[in-house]
Amino acid sequence: MKFSRRTFLAGMGAATAAAVLPKSRAQAAADSSDTYATLIDLSRCDGCSALNTPLCVAACRTKNASRFPEPDPAMLKDYWPKNFHEDWSTRREITYELTPYNWLFVENVYLDIDGKEEQVNIPRRCMHCDNPPCVKLCPFGTAKKDKNGPVYIDPVACFGGAKCRAVCPWNVPQRQAGVGVYTYLDPVPVGGGVMYKCDLCRDLLAEGGIPACMSACPKQAMTIGKKPDIQRHAEELAASYSGYVYGKTEHGGTGTLYVSKIPFEKIDAALMDGINDSKKVMRFHKPDNVMQKHSALVKTALFAPVAGVIGAFAATVSKREDSNDQQ
Amino acid sequence: MTNNKVTRHTRAVRLTHWTVAISGFVLLFSGFGTMPLYARFNINKIPGLSWSGDFLIEQGLHYCAAIIFTAAVFFHLVFHLRRREFAALPKKGDVKESLEIVKAMVTGSPEPPSGKFLAEQRLAYAAIGATSLVLIATGLINLDPAFIQTVTLTHTVATMLFLVLFLLHVGAFLIKANRPLLPSMVTGRVRRNYAEHRHTEWEI
Repeated sequence: MKFSRRTFLAGMGAATAAAVLPKSRAQAAADSSDTYATLIDLSRCDGCSALNTPLCVAACRTKNASRFPEPDPAMLKDYWPKNFHEDWSTRREITYELTPYNWLFVENVYLDIDGKEEQVNIPRRCMHCDNPPCVKLCPFGTAKKDKNGPVYIDPVACFGGAKCRAVCPWNVPQRQAGVGVYTYLDPVPVGGGVMYKCDLCRDLLAEGGIPACMSACPKQAMTIGKKPDIQRHAEELAASYSGYVYGKTEHGGTGTLYVSKIPFEKIDAALMDGINDSKKVMRFHKPDNVMQKHSALVKTALFAPVAGVIGAFAATVSKREDSNDQQ
Repeated sequence: MTNNKVTRHTRAVRLTHWTVAISGFVLLFSGFGTMPLYARFNINKIPGLSWSGDFLIEQGLHYCAAIIFTAAVFFHLVFHLRRREFAALPKKGDVKESLEIVKAMVTGSPEPPSGKFLAEQRLAYAAIGATSLVLIATGLINLDPAFIQTVTLTHTVATMLFLVLFLLHVGAFLIKANRPLLPSMVTGRVRRNYAEHRHTEWEI
C-alpha cells in the first residue's frame, strides 16, 4: 500500500474517531440492560421507628464488619502540616451518618404537609452514579465501577486523599486514618488513610443474591433489579400515587432511584433547614456532573494529535515550497 | 559577525520546544493539583494561588495544557519525520559514550568527539520523548475505566519520571560545559568556536 499524506491523515482521523465515538465502557454499561439499579420507595420506609437501629443499617454493619478498618494507633496522628486527622475508630457505634464504620444510614426529616407534620425516612448510601467522578478522578484509580453498576473503592491502593469525597455531590466516601498504604510511607506526609463506602454488596450480587440492607428490610422499601425494569417500576410507582422520582437524571443518572409522594425539592429544603454547611447534608439537589462539564475539552484533547500532524504537514509543505523557490 | 555563530535550532524547533516546555510545566503543576496536595500543603494559601486547591480548575487546566502539549509532540514527530531529521535519536554505544562524557566533565579530560548532539543528549531525548508518549497515551485512554487503575497508575508513575527528567534537563545547565547551548533555545544559534570545539563531527 502506498503511504501518502492523504492515507496518513485519514488513518489518524479514523484512529481518533474510534477513540472518541464509542462511549466509555462504564457509561455504556450504565445504559445496558445488564446493569443493576435499585429503587427506594420512601412511602414504605418507616425508619424502623420501634428500633434503635434500622434493620437495613444493622444488616449492612454486620455484613461488612470484617471489612471495617482496624487502624494502627501509632498512625492516628494529624495530617502534617494540617492539625487534624479523621479517626472514627472510637465512634464506631454511630449509625446516624455515613462513617468508615457505617455505610448506610436512615435520615429522618420532618415536613409540614398541608399544615400537618409528616416524617419522611430516607435510607442514604452511595448512589452508584452512571458516570461517577470519584472513579474517573481518583489519581490512583482506586475507585472503580463494575460493568454491572456497583461503584466501589479498592482499599489496597487507596491513599485516603479524600478527593473522591470532594468530587462526590453527596460526600459519600468516608476516611479512616491509620490504615492503608500511606502508613508504609510514614513519616512522609502523604495520604490520610482509606476511604470507605457502600459497594452495593457486589460480592452478594456476583453470587446471585441481593444487598444485605434489602433482604433485611421488613417493609420491602428497597428493591434491586436490571436498570430498565427498575426505571419502569419507579415511574409506574410514582405515577400510581402522583409522586416523584429522584436519581434517574440527576448527576447524569445514578443507579439509585428514590420514589416519593412529596416533591424532592421540599425534602431537600427541609434537610437544609437551619444548616449552614451543605457538605454536612446528603441532599436531594440537582448537582452538575463534573465529568460532563469537561467532556468538550476531553474530546478536543483526543483530536490534538490530528491537529499536530496537520500543522507539521503544513509547516513542511511550505518549507518544501521555499526550497523550490530558492532553487 | 554572523560567521561567529552557527544555527542549531530553527524557529519551528524553538517554537515547538517552548510550547512543549510551557505546556509541560502547566501539566506538571495541574497534574499534581489533581491530587489532593495543594490544599493539604497550604499552597492555596499563597497569594494568587487560592485556586490551586480546586480540583475542577486543575482538571480543566490539565486538559487545556494537554491539548497543546499533545499537538506539539505530534507536530514535532511528523515535522522531523517528513524532513528526515533523525540526529537526536539514540545510536548504538550511546550509553558508553555518555559515561565517557560524564567522566570527562568530572575529570576535565577531553570529551569523545560528537556530532550535532552529544550521546547523553540523544539518550535524554529518547527518555523524555518516550515518557511523554506514555503520558499522552495514558492520558487519552484514561476515559475507559475498564483498565482505569493500570492506566492511571502508569500515568502517575510516568509523571514522576517526567518530573525527574525535566529537573535533570534543566539541571544540566548547572554544568558549565553545557551552558553555551543555552542561548540556542532563544536565538537558535551557538558560538561557532563552541560548536567546532565540542561538536567536531557536526557538519556545520
